[in-house]
Amino acid sequence: MGEKKKGFEHPEYYTNRELSWLLFDHRILSEARDKSIPLFERLKFLSITASNLDEFFMIRVASLKDMVNAGYTKCDIAGMTPGEQLAALDKEIHELVNLQYSTYNRSLLPLLEQNGLVVVKNHEALTEKEGKFVDQYFESNVYPVLTPMAVDSSRPFPLIRNKSLNIGALVKKKSGKGELEFATVQVPSVLSRIVPLPTEDGEKKIILLEEIIERNIHKLFLNYDIVCAHHFRIMRNADLTIEEDEAADLLKEIEKQIRKRQWGEAIRLEVENGMDKRLLKLLRKELDIEESGIYYIDGPLDLTFLMKMYGIEGFDRLKNKPYVPQQSPKLPAGCNLFEEIRKGDILLHHPYQSFTPVVDFIRQAAADPNVLAIKQTLYRVSGNSPIIAALAQAAENGKQVSVLVELKARFDEENNIIWARKLEKAGCHVIYGLVGLKTHSKITLVVRREEDGIRRYVHLGTGNYNDATAKLYTDVGLLTCREAIGEDATAVFNMLSGYSEPLHWNRLSLAPLWLKDRFLYLIGREKENALAGKEGRIIAKMNSLCDRDIIVALYEASAAGVKIDLIVRGICCLKVGIPGVSENITVRSIVGNFLEHSRIFYFANGCSEEIYCASADWMPRNLERRVEILFPVEEDELKQELMHILDVQLRDTLKAQILQPDGSYEKIDRRGKETFCAQDAFCAEAMERAEKKKEETNGRVFIPETHHE
Amino acid sequence: MKTFAAIDVGSYELAMKIFEFSGKNKMREIDHIRHKIDLGTETYSTGKLRCDKVDELCNVLKEYKEIMQAYKVDGYRAYGTSAIREMANSAIVRGQIVQRTGIHIDVLSNSEQRFLDYKSIASKGERFNRIIEKGTVIVDIGGGSIQMSLFDKDALVSTQNLKIGVLRIQERIKSMNAAPSQTVNLIEEMVNAQISVFKKFYLKDRDIENIIVVDDYLSPWVAGRNRGTDKEGLASREEYKQFMEQLHVTNRSEFVRKAGISEEAVSLLLISAVLMNRIVDMLDAKLIWAPGVSLCDGIAYEYAEQKKMLICDHDFEKDILACAKTISKRYMGDKKRAEALEHLSLSIFDSMKKIHGLGKRERLYLQIAAILHDCGKYISLINLGECSYNIIMSTEIIGLSHAERELVADVVKFNHEDFVYYEDLSKDSSLDKDAYLVMAKLTAILKIANGLDRSHKQKFKNAKISLKDRELIFQVDSQDDITLERGLFAYRSQFFEEVYNLKPVIRQKKTF
Repeated sequence: MGEKKKGFEHPEYYTNRELSWLLFDHRILSEARDKSIPLFERLKFLSITASNLDEFFMIRVASLKDMVNAGYTKCDIAGMTPGEQLAALDKEIHELVNLQYSTYNRSLLPLLEQNGLVVVKNHEALTEKEGKFVDQYFESNVYPVLTPMAVDSSRPFPLIRNKSLNIGALVKKKSGKGELEFATVQVPSVLSRIVPLPTEDGEKKIILLEEIIERNIHKLFLNYDIVCAHHFRIMRNADLTIEEDEAADLLKEIEKQIRKRQWGEAIRLEVENGMDKRLLKLLRKELDIEESGIYYIDGPLDLTFLMKMYGIEGFDRLKNKPYVPQQSPKLPAGCNLFEEIRKGDILLHHPYQSFTPVVDFIRQAAADPNVLAIKQTLYRVSGNSPIIAALAQAAENGKQVSVLVELKARFDEENNIIWARKLEKAGCHVIYGLVGLKTHSKITLVVRREEDGIRRYVHLGTGNYNDATAKLYTDVGLLTCREAIGEDATAVFNMLSGYSEPLHWNRLSLAPLWLKDRFLYLIGREKENALAGKEGRIIAKMNSLCDRDIIVALYEASAAGVKIDLIVRGICCLKVGIPGVSENITVRSIVGNFLEHSRIFYFANGCSEEIYCASADWMPRNLERRVEILFPVEEDELKQELMHILDVQLRDTLKAQILQPDGSYEKIDRRGKETFCAQDAFCAEAMERAEKKKEETNGRVFIPETHHE
Repeated sequence: MKTFAAIDVGSYELAMKIFEFSGKNKMREIDHIRHKIDLGTETYSTGKLRCDKVDELCNVLKEYKEIMQAYKVDGYRAYGTSAIREMANSAIVRGQIVQRTGIHIDVLSNSEQRFLDYKSIASKGERFNRIIEKGTVIVDIGGGSIQMSLFDKDALVSTQNLKIGVLRIQERIKSMNAAPSQTVNLIEEMVNAQISVFKKFYLKDRDIENIIVVDDYLSPWVAGRNRGTDKEGLASREEYKQFMEQLHVTNRSEFVRKAGISEEAVSLLLISAVLMNRIVDMLDAKLIWAPGVSLCDGIAYEYAEQKKMLICDHDFEKDILACAKTISKRYMGDKKRAEALEHLSLSIFDSMKKIHGLGKRERLYLQIAAILHDCGKYISLINLGECSYNIIMSTEIIGLSHAERELVADVVKFNHEDFVYYEDLSKDSSLDKDAYLVMAKLTAILKIANGLDRSHKQKFKNAKISLKDRELIFQVDSQDDITLERGLFAYRSQFFEEVYNLKPVIRQKKTF
């Protein structure tokens, strides 16, 4: 048995996670290249590939560089050393970037022009009149916020901020001969990058801010001649490694780290194609960056401005009709949530169904005189979050409010600190995360004193308590007052408050202590069933799959005859179609208008099927270094709803891409098949259900109000 | 609906449970909060608690108080067990805690603590009743000591405290600096002697089938098996043996992880397991039941009982009396005479309720005193009072606190010896004035009851007792010669008169 297991761990059976991630970004890019998608939606997808890549650099590439620098040579799951991974990534990323820009230049720009939006690529192409306009714009809006910097013997090379867009120039003193000097100016991030130009014929014309600055750069260095000026952008190592044991006050430490982040080692330099050789050499030297880290860009640097471009008015015909999240038929507007939950568990499927009930859950709890306590974990919250406001209100109303605010949520720290302080001020008990662990679970507990005793209401979800992202991310949430789950929820918060673990769990499984074993057990059980001649079946949907132990278990199950269908949006280190290993496994990835984010796990378990949702992916970081929760959905009707979600996703023929044995992803060959889009189907269903409910309630009979309190 | 918080300041853990009482006889646990804090190790070895530990204790208790407030509890009880009990400066520490947290911690004597544990088991109702139909031992494993309580025909008859608590054993093993491979053997050796003595003296040829275990380490394992089935909390001897084997395999922490027990508990789990293994072997028990209760359950149960929110069908008084009878039997007390004395003294007690104003509990003391009145004879016929006193003071009677036991022991002692008044007695007694008065009243009753049965022939068995003016009249229909009783009665009744200002009078109605 031991030897066989060893066999399943063979590096050949795995895909490197970074390369798999790049494939994911490629899949998004393929949406940007898909001619059947409205033009402005394609801009959005392209923008997402760019911001994803930025984050990937800052975290993943940076940490690989750290490993190489530290002389760490341990191989990954696919048998590659950090050095080998970097080399492989280098090639792939350059290809990805080239594809991004060829998409932008060859497909999107011409189409935009055809549809009446002209992007002026270079300031040289401006008409005289337009030139005057932008110069005027520069003087009144841009000039006052610029900070030009020059380098000479008395002034050192300036700090170039992480992710900022800059214009570098070589300048020469007007007066004497002198040498070439370096000067730079940051394109201010406070100003809109897209500047519309005045037009007369209804056509829209825009130019990017950096072009305007470049055109006027001589005004910044009056005593110099500008020899050349080019755009550049750098990316720095931003992986936060906080020494938690040393940091007496975690909050302060993170504040310190955020300031430090701008100073990390440069790992990527993007320069305009055709940059002056002398300027490039100088940047390379000063930033101490290797040739492989330099990207020569044929177009505007930092494509994330395309997200802003999406917002330009007047192009609705080139955008998807915005979808309005629907009311859950079980939760009519203005209902008393506690009453509804007492009738039975409620499943919410966002963004098809509105996130409002979750916000209302906390709002109603805050105002309810019978509510004793509210406890919640917050990972990423939106700016101006109504949830935070409700929690603060609850504390002011004299309820015991405990909130675990995860400060270690990457890139969100600044935001979180502000909210945490606000909550503390209101009288909430705020816990700033756990030493050594990220709290990624999404759970809310409301303790209510009712006539027949204390009752606990629990919300468990797969997505963050963020009303903004809940409109874009697909997630599921469960509202329940089952005692078994209520007890567990109480225990979860006791643990998060630093008390001992409970003597036992009823229904929930928690990472990092129990969850992995639970998953391995559930997968192993299917294997045993298959070996015993029963049907073995697993359907699992998640964002990423890269935990070796889980993959080994899946391979073992597959080899035993368990049929496994995986819906993995992002990274997948598992390979399909390996004879004797993974022939019974399929993997598909759905990249659509909404970001697939829910985690749902189905196990046939002989004839008594079990279905779970979780905040965790099958990744080591979720299973080993985070607090995560797996919860079962037990009510039959809701189980069927979840099964339906999985089923619809498996039927998708439009957005699904299937993992091939060679490691690539391919769209489904639709010849002879109906075109079916899972996300669209969910939208349609949610609207139909809400409409039906409305019809049921809005009869033609007037209902007089008989009782007023 | 009422809510209540029970706090157990244990030797390795500070636990609080929140309970809800609703409807009839409904008690529900709502929250269970545990904080690991080792108070025992230090107290057992130095007798005191370091300042930082006191700080930690206060901080956690303050948090507990906030939690209580959040639940809007209607009441709370906080009890300290062996660690607080054995603390030399217990009063000072507890004073500080009150000052800083507002929480009053009362100290439980061992027998009170075990009685609460026992009550919490009994609160499990039907299963408990079924288990104790067969020979049963309750093994209550604590940090400082373990308590073995023996059942005979559905009543608890004897209880013994053995100072081999898990924390104490761990401490001793640490000080021996033994190799890990020797640990199991060491534990076995340490506990073997004590357990076999227990078996020899108390078990004799009783047949023990069931073990009820109350602890923090084994119980979760036992309870975790068959959860949700009707076998929940039960493990057969075979299953337990399998568990022991798994513990012996090389990778212990791996096993512990799989069993779902926290890493920090490994060493205490091992000690508990070895301990239990020895007990299972020694008693040859067939079934282990872990009701999964803790002291907190007992505290809540007691509170609910006092507030009349719960009624239990198990008769705990019967247990206390059964215990007393077992002690009497052990010291070869005269059963017949004890019964006569019990009957007589209780009749006197009942007939003068208005005068003494004592209640049910005091009646129980008197009954126990009557049962144990002559246990000292086993040692010496001359020094009967003192010997009886010592025997009672060194024998645990589950359900009686230390102070109550002393009260009973004093009643028995002064039944035989001259009464010592409070002013002198208080020099080396822990009885307060109220308890002293109770003791004096009961002594007076026992003394005349004893006097009426001087010849040990139960001549006054059917005496009618009545109260008339300032006289307490004993009317006997007996044809026996009662000269002896009459003769000694005057002397015996002196103290009675002094206490009650009543004159006991004997009237014999002879029928020819």
